[in-house]
Amino acid sequence: MSSFLKIAIRNLLKGPSTDPYPFGETFVPKGLRGKIKYNAKACVACRMCEHVCAGGAIQIREVADKSGLEFILWHNTCAFCGLCEHYCPTKAIRLTEDYHTAHRQEDKYRYVEKGFIKYVNCARCATPMVPIAFELLNVAHDQVNEDIEKLRHLCPKCRQERALR
Amino acid sequence: MKKLLQKIAKKSPWLYRINAGSCNGCDVELATTACIPRYDIERLGCKYCGSPKHADIVLITGPLTARVKEKVLRLYDEIPDPKVTVAIGVCPISGGVFRDSYAITGPIDNFIPVDVNVPGCPPRPQAIIDGIVEAIKIWETRL
Repeated sequence: MSSFLKIAIRNLLKGPSTDPYPFGETFVPKGLRGKIKYNAKACVACRMCEHVCAGGAIQIREVADKSGLEFILWHNTCAFCGLCEHYCPTKAIRLTEDYHTAHRQEDKYRYVEKGFIKYVNCARCATPMVPIAFELLNVAHDQVNEDIEKLRHLCPKCRQERALR
Repeated sequence: MKKLLQKIAKKSPWLYRINAGSCNGCDVELATTACIPRYDIERLGCKYCGSPKHADIVLITGPLTARVKEKVLRLYDEIPDPKVTVAIGVCPISGGVFRDSYAITGPIDNFIPVDVNVPGCPPRPQAIIDGIVEAIKIWETRL
């Protein structure tokens, strides 16, 4: 009896345990897998995310005027599995802790994360190519020196020629 | 009398749950949202009801499997108008990971007029509360 009273009094003093949301702030556990954020600057268009996406939410395609690649992620079929983040070599895709996903029906097909990768021209032969992100150099090399930095601006073909010379 | 009822009804929309072939993940989150004191949905005046004839806001989970489609549509027709439909989870909205499967007939908005979408696999209880708040706003305009 006394132990029960102790618990009852402690609970009375503690106040309600109900989460105040939506009238107040709520808690977000660390590492919550929420909406995906995409950083076009770090992306190298390897299309691994498109390949591993369980829900088929990610699409990378060339835009109509062929000036670059467009990244589209439809949140309405993303399962928050995190495979894209896991396999992204440059961590251009990140899962945020944003869980606010409710929206009206008229926004259903507008509920996307978009990004645009503009082609750059090769420094030697001027063919358009996907820019090589600096993050990728850090993955491939221990130390990035000037020579490697120069290779960044060459297309795969010119890079090959440079390497064989 | 009618005016008074309309005023009262705005404050207490009753929820009804339809499982259209869900994996039970979203249903667990719905149960969490309603039944445990932590995310108490009854603060918004909502209450789960057992009969479709008492429902105001319909929460649908699951990708609308071929086997369950007719039953879901029949059940949906039993809910009196006006009603607000909320699709919970990615499955009813787009099919999610089951999209293009021979076993599902969704997305659900091909058959049922949906008003609010709450994507997630499953969505957090807080996200579901967001969706219900949105649905209550629509519900108030429909009365």
